[in-house]
Amino acid sequence: MKNDVGVPLAGGLLPFARERASATPIRRAADRSSVEGLVSELPAHLSDVRPVRVSLRALQEWFAGAVMHPAGVAASVRERGDLGGEAIGVADVERVVSASSRLSGFERIEIYHGAYRARLVECLADDYPALAYALGESSFESLCHAYIAAHPSRSPSLNAFGRHMSAFCRSRTDRLSAFGADLAALEWALVEVIHTAPADRLSEEALSKIPPSDWPRARFAPSDAVRVLEFGHAANAYFQAYNAGGGPDPPEPAWSATAVFREGPTIWRMDLSRAMHTLLHALFAGATLGAALDALASSGDLTEKEAPLLMNWFRDWVRYGFFASIAVETGVRSSSSA
Amino acid sequence: MPSGPARGGGPPGGGQSCNRFGLPNLGIGLGLRTVHYGHLLEHWPHVDWFEIISENYMQTAGRPLYFLDQIAERYPIVMHGVSLSIGSTDELDMSYLAELKALRERSGALWVSDHLCWTGVAGRNTHDLLPMPYTDEALRHTARRVRYVQDFLEAPLVLENPSSYVEFTGSTMREWEFLRALADEADCGLLLDVNNIYVSGYNHGFEPSVYLDAIPFDRVVQMHVAGHTHNGTHIVDTHIGPVIDPVWDIAREAYRRCPGTSILLEWDAEIPPFEEVHKEALKAASFARNGESGASARQAGARA
Repeated sequence: MKNDVGVPLAGGLLPFARERASATPIRRAADRSSVEGLVSELPAHLSDVRPVRVSLRALQEWFAGAVMHPAGVAASVRERGDLGGEAIGVADVERVVSASSRLSGFERIEIYHGAYRARLVECLADDYPALAYALGESSFESLCHAYIAAHPSRSPSLNAFGRHMSAFCRSRTDRLSAFGADLAALEWALVEVIHTAPADRLSEEALSKIPPSDWPRARFAPSDAVRVLEFGHAANAYFQAYNAGGGPDPPEPAWSATAVFREGPTIWRMDLSRAMHTLLHALFAGATLGAALDALASSGDLTEKEAPLLMNWFRDWVRYGFFASIAVETGVRSSSSA
Repeated sequence: MPSGPARGGGPPGGGQSCNRFGLPNLGIGLGLRTVHYGHLLEHWPHVDWFEIISENYMQTAGRPLYFLDQIAERYPIVMHGVSLSIGSTDELDMSYLAELKALRERSGALWVSDHLCWTGVAGRNTHDLLPMPYTDEALRHTARRVRYVQDFLEAPLVLENPSSYVEFTGSTMREWEFLRALADEADCGLLLDVNNIYVSGYNHGFEPSVYLDAIPFDRVVQMHVAGHTHNGTHIVDTHIGPVIDPVWDIAREAYRRCPGTSILLEWDAEIPPFEEVHKEALKAASFARNGESGASARQAGARA
């Protein structure tokens, strides 16, 4: 699919696998390492286990701490040192959680520890499939574990759990952190647009009612279902190649910009030239059309080839629902959909 | 209208359920999963009903609701939550409850269920179904919260027995004793997950029949069947693959004790094409009655 100015659109019904379920994910093999070295700390004989009876609150805080601790159950138990006033070390865990005929109490808690991280890693992998591919499984999982520790969920929903990933990537010094931040910003924009409400759309009819003399003072209200993004790498080209199964290599730094938007259930990505981005960025920031065009002129971004296409751009952007409404600065002259 | 019984061969005289809440027998349903959206919207297959994971349609105003609205127009819907955290010692999340209630109204869900568990504490959410200690304190605490939620929702809350991998030494009763006492104390409904009984029975060393003997079946509104993963040392409730025969056996025995109960298959990992999932669910037709039609089920749900 192409728009009038030949800028390719890419998109479609993105797989939307990040959904909650009551199932328990299976822990990854790598997580088992946290059990190693603990055998000597576990009691040899359990027949004299004295149950710990504490308040529900104290028990939940102790158990959740063990499940969520980034360094594992043992680290949490050691750091806390007690439960409801009773000293509880790793060797005492079975005073809290009983052993089964096949697993120690400690190993049984480890099932929850592994499932906790596995579920959240799955969630992030669903939000960031291209980032996961770019980094590779091991690096992505390490990134996710660090992210989970830095940004534990405080919401009943996982829909926004991954929202900090771009900034988190940029704050790190890992290989590909800058590209990862760009790619994560693109992928998160896709998630955000999926969850936005059906937006009001400026109609071409409403646009046509603006007299030419009022155009410089016209102000476009951006649609909630559109994101305009600027990158230091060709993030969208990489994402497109990944989606097409091409196995792309991470790109070298290079400027790029992309608009992400939704039409019904379909999510689209559209690459933007520098001039398009400058103009859209100004309009989305609230500039009047006149001010935005002035900014474009002074930027030097508009090429000779592009200059005759400005009206086509606007027509496309209106058609794709980039704007919710239009108003003229001195008073409302026309607005929203016809 | 594609909804309604798509199968034959069930025992005669079906339709009505026997739960004390008057909630209808919907027949044999499926968990609604996004990988099947395309198939559903293209073919609108005959399926008795769908269960949605409530949270998948909360904190969103976009595409999930776009699909749900279309599906809820054509099939009876039931809501199944994973984040109510009814057993937590944190305050109930009122904004969550308000959104839950709004989703129920939007989808026309016939009932709302969640799990006997807690999902987090001190403001942090693990997004897991964490096990309760079965104590008097936990019983009183949870029953009080269930009653509050029911008052807020203006409908019975239906609680599911979870799979669990630990038991607390401080527990003073077994899970089935706790569940029964809670249901009586809070006057709530039960969602009997027979796979969870099998899983926890293996993990904790009890016989499923002992569990079933303690269940107040007049409170059972719905049943779940599912697959799981056997790790040798323990079983994990992964909702993967077909349902094994011993779980079907428990389902059959449970159904005998509450005939006309709505049955649902959960399949959440390595989900195959829609027809395969549906075919697996329809194995329940060997012992389950036909459900009420979509329209009459909605009316019954509205009366309840």
